[in-house]
Amino acid sequence: MAASRTRLALVVTVAVAMVIVSLSGCAAESEPVDDSVDVTEPYRIGAVLSLTGTFAGLGEPEKKTIDMEVERINDAGGVHGRPIEVLIEDDATDAETAVAVTTRLLERGDIVAIIGATGTGGTMAMRQEIVRAGIPQVSVAGGTVITADFHPLVFQTPWSNSLVVPFTLRYLEEQGFYKIGLISDTGGFGKDGVEVIKEAIEGTDFELVAEESFNPGDTDMTAQLTLIRAADADVVVLWSAGREAATVAKNMAQLDFGIPLVGSHGNARIEFIEGAGEAAEDFVFAAGKILVPEAYGEDSEEYAVATDFIERYTERYGEAPDTFAGHAYDSLYIIVEAMQRLPEGFSPEDLRDEIEKTTGFVGIGGTFNYSETDHNGLTEDDLVMYRVSGGRWVLEER
Amino acid sequence: MGGTELLQFGLAGLKNGSIYALVALGFTLVYAATGAINFAQGEFYMLGGMLSVWAYADLGLPLPLAAVTGVAATAVLGGVFELAAIRPRKDGDPLAIIIITVGGSMVLSSMARHLFGPTERPLPAFSGGGSVKVFGASLEVQSVWILGMTALAVAALWYLYNRTGLGRAMRACAVNRDAARIVGVDTRLMVTVSFVLAATLGALAGLAVTPLTQTVFDVGPSVGIKGFAAAILGGLGNPIAAVVGGLVLGMLESLSIAFISSTYKDAIALIVLLSVLFLRPQGILGRWRREKV
Repeated sequence: MAASRTRLALVVTVAVAMVIVSLSGCAAESEPVDDSVDVTEPYRIGAVLSLTGTFAGLGEPEKKTIDMEVERINDAGGVHGRPIEVLIEDDATDAETAVAVTTRLLERGDIVAIIGATGTGGTMAMRQEIVRAGIPQVSVAGGTVITADFHPLVFQTPWSNSLVVPFTLRYLEEQGFYKIGLISDTGGFGKDGVEVIKEAIEGTDFELVAEESFNPGDTDMTAQLTLIRAADADVVVLWSAGREAATVAKNMAQLDFGIPLVGSHGNARIEFIEGAGEAAEDFVFAAGKILVPEAYGEDSEEYAVATDFIERYTERYGEAPDTFAGHAYDSLYIIVEAMQRLPEGFSPEDLRDEIEKTTGFVGIGGTFNYSETDHNGLTEDDLVMYRVSGGRWVLEER
Repeated sequence: MGGTELLQFGLAGLKNGSIYALVALGFTLVYAATGAINFAQGEFYMLGGMLSVWAYADLGLPLPLAAVTGVAATAVLGGVFELAAIRPRKDGDPLAIIIITVGGSMVLSSMARHLFGPTERPLPAFSGGGSVKVFGASLEVQSVWILGMTALAVAALWYLYNRTGLGRAMRACAVNRDAARIVGVDTRLMVTVSFVLAATLGALAGLAVTPLTQTVFDVGPSVGIKGFAAAILGGLGNPIAAVVGGLVLGMLESLSIAFISSTYKDAIALIVLLSVLFLRPQGILGRWRREKV
């Protein structure tokens, strides 16, 4: 008897819960959007970030940056005298979840723009919802596909592989490294990079003598590297954004290659240097200028913006911001400055058009110039080559 | 392909394989005691590395002491996990235990995420970096530690199983739980012991690998799956089979990279696993257990 009573109680609870959910759903839908301007009502921006899962290490600095900068914007008077509020949702580094939380954000009916997702997979999966709602999206993910598969509503702030690959190849050419042994992860970033590299070296003097891959979570890449060594490459090029990069560097040191290892902006994390230790020495990669702000040129506006951000971030969180913090900074300010340029009562279409008009915006990733055909906005001038030396990033002399 | 290269592939396979073997041993021990798969096994691997990093970097202990602390703390956590989550389920239904361990693994990794943060953390190599040459192929000094620790753990486990009263009680429990209980074996205690041992072995593997790969809250599941595959490949419930399964799986992966493609190495390992199971459902070294009516 007791058992059946418990079961009955369970059924009733579930039924009540379902009624409540459906009612609240209806309420949200039928409630008219308030058109009158309330000065205390904040402008709301949604953000879909990976706070858990594989990309948690990227989403965390992004969230910290947004929290810090929203406070700063509101202390300075917000937008049109109204505060801004960023509603941050966690997508758990999962494309399905990214879609679900985006839907939840957009159904509120008061979101003016979306930041995110952290990963390329999430960013692409969200697009259907973004398009349905007609809300502009500024992604902090680096996949080339995000802006190459062009949509008027979708913008991005990181340097995409289509910028970094030609820049890196030019460096290899200068150094006289033509036979490339490529090793990449099987995740979105690595695959994207491999495709862009293959396309870029077609019809050039470069030759891909080996092409190897590893899975996220792999603990040993000596087998792949042994094949690359046997292929007699001039240089090993690593395209990977995960922690496995440190293992690749260590395995190379172990095998005693005697040829250099060149990485990408995916390795611009202090965790890489900490993890690889001595094996990180002389690792070369391209990334934006935030790692060594002197690269901007000390009298430039870029330098002032970057050092101000680095100082405030370091003071608040006790650690220097990385490139991912920079992408979140750029996304937030591109949206907020477009809002500030518009008159009150703007529509999402107005905001999209205004974001597209962003020119000469000096951010952390570089100077952004969006146009009707370019929603990435950066150029190779915003990149610089780094070398790891003495456990720090230094500018590679060229 | 020269002999040096072949040897290099072999060494890589041996190193990965011995890690899989340690994790597989954990699966096998718990399976022998409960008849269930412990899906939190990968989290013990994560905790072994993570708690050692915590003891070393946050508590400032010297490395050997930090390593012992990390493994011991994981072993205690394994026991606590069994007492708090598995034991209350009095009927010991394997299916229920499996579900409980799935939940437990999520709780453990979320807790690690909260306590130790989302980014990977390093641990120095036990006896400095560098590598040794073996007939022209090179092996990191840390890999020598991995192989040595695996060998030692297997030897200790063999001794425990074959030369001690506790080991005999565990084996009795694995053969027939009811009969073991009738002759006075505390079968509940054996389950707890199996979880403590499984946690210790997983923690040893995680600790040994961390200086090479760093560790982070979510490394558990992928290694857990490899260890599980190794245990199945060898034959569940038999410690020697788990070790053989681990080494075979490691070698398979390494050889698929060498001769076929690194892109498909996991798929190839899986195909071999499936074909072995198709031909020998009990695993390479497993014995037929005929159902008696």
